[in-house]
Amino acid sequence: MFDRRLVEYFDWGLLGLTITLGSLGIVVLYSAIYAGVDDPFKALCGKQLIWFCIGLTVMVISFLVNYKELDQWGLLIYFFSLLLLVGVLFFGKYVAGSRRWLIVGPITIQPSEIVKITVIIVLSSYYSKHANIKGLTFKELVTPAILVFIPFLLVVRQPDLGTSLLIVLIAASITMFVKIERRTLIYIIGACTTTLPLVWWFFLKGYQKLRILTFLNPDRDPLGAGYHIIQSKIAIGSGMIIGKGFLKGTQNALSFLPEQHTDFILSVLAEEWGFAGTGLILLIYLLLIIWGLNIAHGCRDSFGTILSVGVTAMIFWQVFINVGMIMGLMPVVGVPLPLISYGGSSVVTVMIGIGILMNVSMRRFLVE
Amino acid sequence: MKRTEEKKIKIRIIIVGVIFTVFYLVIGAKAAYEQIYRGPTLSQKAADQYEKMYYASGKRGTIYDSKHKEMGVSIDSISIGAYPKKIKDKKDDSKTIAKYLDVNEKRLLKKLNSKKSFVWIKRHVTPKKAKNIKDLNFEGVDFIKEHTRVYPKKTIAAQLIGFSGIDGKGLEGIEFYYDSYLEGEDAEQVVIKDALGRGFDHEKRVSDYNGNNLILTIDSTIQYIAERALEKTVNDFGARSGMAIIMDPKTGAILAHAHYPFFNLNSFGKYDRGLWRNRAITDPFEPGSTMKTFLAAAAIESGYCSPDSIFQCNGEHNIEEELWEGAKEKQWKTLQQIIKFSDNNGAVKVAEMIGNKNLYNTLKDFGFGSKTGIDCPGETSGSLKSYLRWSKVEAGTISYGYGISVSAIQLITAVSAIANGGVLMKPYIVKAITDENGQFVSSFRPQRVRRVISETTAKTVRDIMATVTTSGGTGVGAAIEGFKVSGKTGTARKINKKGEYEKGKCIASFIGFAPGDNPELAVLVTVDEPQIKHSGGAVAAPAFKKIVSETFNYLTITPQIAAVRK
Repeated sequence: MFDRRLVEYFDWGLLGLTITLGSLGIVVLYSAIYAGVDDPFKALCGKQLIWFCIGLTVMVISFLVNYKELDQWGLLIYFFSLLLLVGVLFFGKYVAGSRRWLIVGPITIQPSEIVKITVIIVLSSYYSKHANIKGLTFKELVTPAILVFIPFLLVVRQPDLGTSLLIVLIAASITMFVKIERRTLIYIIGACTTTLPLVWWFFLKGYQKLRILTFLNPDRDPLGAGYHIIQSKIAIGSGMIIGKGFLKGTQNALSFLPEQHTDFILSVLAEEWGFAGTGLILLIYLLLIIWGLNIAHGCRDSFGTILSVGVTAMIFWQVFINVGMIMGLMPVVGVPLPLISYGGSSVVTVMIGIGILMNVSMRRFLVE
Repeated sequence: MKRTEEKKIKIRIIIVGVIFTVFYLVIGAKAAYEQIYRGPTLSQKAADQYEKMYYASGKRGTIYDSKHKEMGVSIDSISIGAYPKKIKDKKDDSKTIAKYLDVNEKRLLKKLNSKKSFVWIKRHVTPKKAKNIKDLNFEGVDFIKEHTRVYPKKTIAAQLIGFSGIDGKGLEGIEFYYDSYLEGEDAEQVVIKDALGRGFDHEKRVSDYNGNNLILTIDSTIQYIAERALEKTVNDFGARSGMAIIMDPKTGAILAHAHYPFFNLNSFGKYDRGLWRNRAITDPFEPGSTMKTFLAAAAIESGYCSPDSIFQCNGEHNIEEELWEGAKEKQWKTLQQIIKFSDNNGAVKVAEMIGNKNLYNTLKDFGFGSKTGIDCPGETSGSLKSYLRWSKVEAGTISYGYGISVSAIQLITAVSAIANGGVLMKPYIVKAITDENGQFVSSFRPQRVRRVISETTAKTVRDIMATVTTSGGTGVGAAIEGFKVSGKTGTARKINKKGEYEKGKCIASFIGFAPGDNPELAVLVTVDEPQIKHSGGAVAAPAFKKIVSETFNYLTITPQIAAVRK
């Protein structure tokens, strides 16, 4: 049944922000691959545009169906996404030593991206039923812990440190938002600090340890592991206040920048547009975050609120980790910059998230 | 939802918003720190990475002979180098490159595995070969424009011209001595390089800082004549080596400067280093009887003697010329005869008469014991002790050329002074320097050093020397039909390792000039250890004749007297 208020309440502002970011993404991507030395990248701009359109379509689908349906179907979607992750473990495509991609017909998808959304849905669904003023007890946290741990483990196995870290961060943000009982919280923090060294010794792969060590001191291996951080910082810093101008970035054009069209794309922007550009893009993201939280604020049911906070947290953490990484605030972990980094799965996932936000936003008049 | 609960959730959302904003402020601050505060430093770092200073050396100047024929030229060539860090498949690449460039594969692989940021693969390859490699598009392989030195006349005047090394630096001879004029200036140029070391703007870095050209006094035709005559003489007599210098006595300009054995300047590395030396400049030797020329000059100039002054010679000291070895009985000889027959005992008598001081001063004025100042590297000053330290024996032997050492260039310069009316000229090799467009930068005029003897003395000595090539003289082999030829033979025993004069090991020489009254050429020929015959008259005089007559032919200097003087 179509409600005219759905159109009335449509979140044009959020759509505007999304399209702004997406367009900026295409422009920066063009600049990133403009280096022109490597022909295979030439087609990427068009591809990204197609992905962006697919993303818009998926976004429309995600807001057309009432988000409350997600509350019911959440678990099923969650298990389906887990199935994809298991599929990756067995049939995934190997790229540079890790299996992250599933090839389905003509397209390559990255299930770990989608899992971020399904984890948000399933957690929101659970917490909306168990949240209370006193906070979650240890007992109530067992189920969410399992719900997060399974996809986390599957993604770690790929291995994809960045995404698994993101899943944990998103889950933790949601859980903290929902509130944990004080005593339980203290216990958890205590347990985490004691297990961290164990994780270091038994879970992290050699190259992952190396990245963290390098992050702590990039100059210990300037041509090896520290190369990315150093080059990225040089590119960003040499942009100075107003930048070198569109298509004028030397570090990008001369191939000093690594992964300039995916994880390090902001370095290209920072080099060509300077601090003015970096500041502006951060402001747009901040606006997006506040927009998302505002949607959560306006939502009157707890599932919608938690869902919105979760999606917003996802975008927040991705931006924070990505920007932090290219500026040397964080170790190099592969986290794409939402809507700007090249990558279909990443774009589509973020668009689904934004679709969900719109969904919640345009149905804020519905009272339970 | 209950109202209070709802309110609390709203507050929590705001808290989340504040936390997220603070996090963003942190990365915003970090961005400001990197881009604004550290911006200038990082910009410099960026520039350091992609801007590589490149030093292109300009083309080395050309060396021309006096007739503007090229003796040494630089041609464009390409050198291939590599940035080892940027080469991925070192083994495979070195295999291919080694095959194409004909270099040792193992050695190349070793170079590529080194920790250096840049290594040469091969210097100075032909453009065609370089293109072959270029077409294969190796990553980390660079092509650098350089110049190769080529000596079109190969062995001609090799020891004089010298050569420059692979880096275009003059190493020997004129190339070394005039290096600062010849070498192109280093042009500093900024080349943009990408992360793989690939350079851009390769074409722009051709520099306009080419070196200056030298124009020598050497005439390569005369040089060729001298070298052929020398080669034939050394081979005919089974000698070890030889030298021939031709000087224009009026100016001190060297017209030919020949050494034998030859070596090819284009492949100098394949020859014994000992051959590279410009021995006429660097090696002192005991001249023997050619020194009597200067004794005669000293004697006439002193005023105690005339050509006809008579000296009693006992022949006992006559260890010198084979021709006169047997003569033991006492004879009376004039000064002229002493020179003509090269009588050592007579020379001692003449020296006794004029006194050590007179002889020393004249020799010193002729330039013995000091460098001539010729524009060649490594000149020796020879040795001439002060007469105050001459022993009694030395005082005698110096008169016929022992106990004194001279260089070939000193000898020819000194004899040229006699030819030149008693005025000593400074010898020189380079007569002009031109820039890359052929404009004169500087030209060298003949330099008068000093008057050594009077004009009349010089004429008298020339006449005495002319008797040497007349019938019965030691240098009759140097006589040229139609010309008055003045000269003096020399056959100097060489000292062996024990410090003794060894029989049969001689330096045969002939020094002289022609035409006798108005000398156009002064020529010195020395032959080291001739085997078949030993005397200067027999070995060096014919070579002198050959050189002078052929050069006169070339210079179209026509005979001045109808018949040979008897």
